[in-house]
Amino acid sequence: MSEPALLTVEKLEVVYHRAITAVQGISLSVRKGQIVAILGTNGAGKSTTLRAISGFLGIDDARVTDGSVTFNGKRIENRQPNEITRLGIALVPERDKVFPNLTVIENLTAPFAPAHYNRRDNEVLAYQFFPRLAELRSRTAGLLSGGERQMLALASALVCRPELLLVDELSLGLAPVVVQDLMARLVQIRHELGTTIVVVEQSAAAALNVADYGYVLENGRVVLDGEGARLRAHGDIQEFYLGQTSSSDRRSYRSVKQYRRSRRWYG
Amino acid sequence: MSRGMPRASGYFRTDYAQDLALTQTRLERASLLAFAVMLAAFPFLATAFYLDLACQVFLAAIGALSLMLLTGYAGQISLGHAGLLAAGAFTAGILFREFNAPFWVTLPAAAAVGALLGIVFGLPSLRLRGLYLAVSTLALHFVVVYLGGEYESKRGYSTGIMIDAPTIGGYAITNGRVWYFVLLVAAAATLLICINLLRSRTGRAWRAIRAHETVAEALGINIAAYKLLAFVISSAMAAVAGALFAYYRHFVSVEAFSLFLSIQYVAMIIVGGMGSLLGALLGAVFVTLFPYLIEAALQQLPNAQSYAGVLFAVNYAAFGVVMILFLLFEPLGLVGIWHRVQHYFLLWPFKHRPVAGAGK
Amino acid sequence: MQLAVNIVVLSAIYALIACGYVLIYRVSRVLNLAHGELMMLGAYLLLATAASFAGNPVAAIAAAVVLSLAVGILVYVFLMRKMTGEMVLAAVLTTVALGTLLRGLMVLIWSAQQQYPGQALGFANPAIALPGGGRISTFAAILVVTTALVYGGLFVFLRFGRWGVRMRAAGQNPLLAAQRGINLHAVYALAWGLSTLTGSMAGMLIALDSGLTSSMTVIGLKAFPAALVGGLDSLVGALVGALIIGAAEVLSIQYIDPLLSDVVPFLVLIAMLIVRPWGLFGTREELDRV
Ligand SMILES: Nc1ncnc2c1ncn2[C@@H]1O[C@H](COP(=O)(O)OP(=O)(O)OP(=O)(O)O)[C@@H](O)[C@H]1O
Ligand SMILES: [Mg+2]
Repeated sequence: MSEPALLTVEKLEVVYHRAITAVQGISLSVRKGQIVAILGTNGAGKSTTLRAISGFLGIDDARVTDGSVTFNGKRIENRQPNEITRLGIALVPERDKVFPNLTVIENLTAPFAPAHYNRRDNEVLAYQFFPRLAELRSRTAGLLSGGERQMLALASALVCRPELLLVDELSLGLAPVVVQDLMARLVQIRHELGTTIVVVEQSAAAALNVADYGYVLENGRVVLDGEGARLRAHGDIQEFYLGQTSSSDRRSYRSVKQYRRSRRWYG
Repeated sequence: MSRGMPRASGYFRTDYAQDLALTQTRLERASLLAFAVMLAAFPFLATAFYLDLACQVFLAAIGALSLMLLTGYAGQISLGHAGLLAAGAFTAGILFREFNAPFWVTLPAAAAVGALLGIVFGLPSLRLRGLYLAVSTLALHFVVVYLGGEYESKRGYSTGIMIDAPTIGGYAITNGRVWYFVLLVAAAATLLICINLLRSRTGRAWRAIRAHETVAEALGINIAAYKLLAFVISSAMAAVAGALFAYYRHFVSVEAFSLFLSIQYVAMIIVGGMGSLLGALLGAVFVTLFPYLIEAALQQLPNAQSYAGVLFAVNYAAFGVVMILFLLFEPLGLVGIWHRVQHYFLLWPFKHRPVAGAGK
Repeated sequence: MQLAVNIVVLSAIYALIACGYVLIYRVSRVLNLAHGELMMLGAYLLLATAASFAGNPVAAIAAAVVLSLAVGILVYVFLMRKMTGEMVLAAVLTTVALGTLLRGLMVLIWSAQQQYPGQALGFANPAIALPGGGRISTFAAILVVTTALVYGGLFVFLRFGRWGVRMRAAGQNPLLAAQRGINLHAVYALAWGLSTLTGSMAGMLIALDSGLTSSMTVIGLKAFPAALVGGLDSLVGALVGALIIGAAEVLSIQYIDPLLSDVVPFLVLIAMLIVRPWGLFGTREELDRV
């Protein structure tokens, strides 16, 4: 438990186009070997956080304006994405996660692997976790189904041999069965490669089943965090993310807190 | 954005007339007036050489303004500007030679030919995103030069077409001073047209497209149509400039319209400052005078005669260097430098303008 | 028969030049309008190395080839690199400026006169009689073979080479490529280097075959329609496009008017843009119809 943190994010602030503050002071800490889930509604800033960690902000004219990201003791905020990848962080982005005009094999060839791995190693690694890709090896990636594409994206991220794997919206547009299967693969990857994993999820149920720790974001801030099992049992999470409640009008977590606070104050 | 600094201390416009006015403050009006007086006095003080130089600047200014509309505002590159000028010049020349047409026929005809070329060459390339216009304007250049050359050789004007001076009510414009005012008025008229175009819905659409094509599209702007419109207007203006050039020189020949001329126009808008009409004017002045400066500089070197043959090469190289320097270090061009000097004096003794939103 | 030979030779020239446009466009979406000048620079480099490696033509050619690769990489590192992340418009204008500068410099250094690097290297250029009755000059034949080899090499490299696949990846999604650890600057520098290399080889062979003047840049410009007709992002397309343009040009010179030679490639281009704007082999969605 006292193992030092692999990744520490402190008071991170990200601004789009010098105007829109998407992340306002998020602090996270990820220990080696953990699976950490980041939850939150649409627009909460989950993707932005992941992209800031992996240097993926570039073209959107977004910038880390405050705070720090430390990985393995090195400050990495605002570094070039290829440098960050070579330090050991790989991201599976939300959209455009594969090279659509390359074949599956080429998608596994393109990533920059440490020098002592050859192409064969990369393929073996990919098929070890996603045997389905072996059948599709010479298919153009743009023609894959959503689930297959997600597998390919995960596999091509693994080719970089990351210490830390960041996965944005694993479940986006996928059938629940597939999501469960992919989550199981993440656990397998952690088990066999020792990779630390951060998953961003809308659907909290699937993520919290495998996560050791979870953070809930809202409006660019962390509003709740705790161990996976505890979060799953948490009343508000159950109400607002797992949908296990009878309340018909769904309000945001924040407004409920305010409501409760005001009830306390005004009796 | 186009207005770097508020000249007055706030936004005090209370009716539409003020909004439409071209100048906002008394200082602005006064300096504009002073400048106009200077322009009017110039031909009576200058020698024939400087008068000719001024006329060249005005002609260049019309071309540069039209290219600025296309590149600086609609975000498309044209490498065929010389071809459009040539089209205008040849329209005037051919109409004069074949039908003895007066200038009030040839100038509108030149504009029409320019617009037509704009449609023919703009329509296919502007359907696509990306800089396809650069290539199809290259095509335009070669086609016009080929047709012009054909006309010259078929009709036996192998050295070029002579054109008589335009006449107004029996008076032929041959005097340099008169030409000065004619071209000055033409350039000023072009400037006014540009200013008003840019303040209209059309101008706003162009700017939206240049800033962000996808967003502009999402806002319901018909991108292809507006890009085409920009190219058609720009082509028509350039063709008129070409026709004026033909009258001014009394002479049309394909030799005068090389690819290098197109590059000079591109240089004008780069050096002047992308996305600014003032920039087009400054660029026109700079690029017109620059070769003379280089020549003068070479004259100072010890064995000046030996450079005479390579003068054009020196020009090429110098233009290349100047364009690269501006693209790398001052993308806002001379206008950018001008604004910085302005700020320096406005804010003196302070160094920096308070940044909007500073202090969070 | 002679007509067919002429078509093949001209197409080979255009194809060899056009692949340079395609390489750079494909990875960085920049139209390199200085390609014609860079190609001519390659030819002049050969002239220069011919003077310094007198009596050793192979060494001279090898040195010129290596130098042209270096030129391409240096152009990226010292100039175009500064324009990455800027608008494409600015990058393209930079290539225009670079072309203008190079053209001036080349005339200043090597003068505008016709030069013959072939003679400087001591090569004869005898015509070879072909079986069907046509004739082809030695260097034209070498050029056709070189084009075939270059295209073959590029195909293999882009399909099977690690860096080749990375170049294609970077062209499709630069950000994801960077995220997968690919150094974009290295990829772009490689593209510029290869593009200048192939262009220079074309320039050298043309100069060896028929001499070298500053009008060579026009050939470079005329190869652009070849790249575009095929679809700017496809090598097969460039090859087919070059064949179309070459055939159109040779035939119209033969049967209509020799003066048309500068115009025809562009007329074909306009026709293509009207019918099928994304080119014969270009991918439609990649070009983003407006
Ligand atoms: N490219 C961009 N330009 C401007 N604003 C952006 C951009 N990308 C995201 N934002 C804004 O930043 C905020 C956070 O976005 P982010 O994508 O991080 O949310 P998210 O938590 O991943 O949401 P989702 O679950 O929908 O993916 C949103 O308000 C969004 O509008
Ligand atoms: Mg997201």
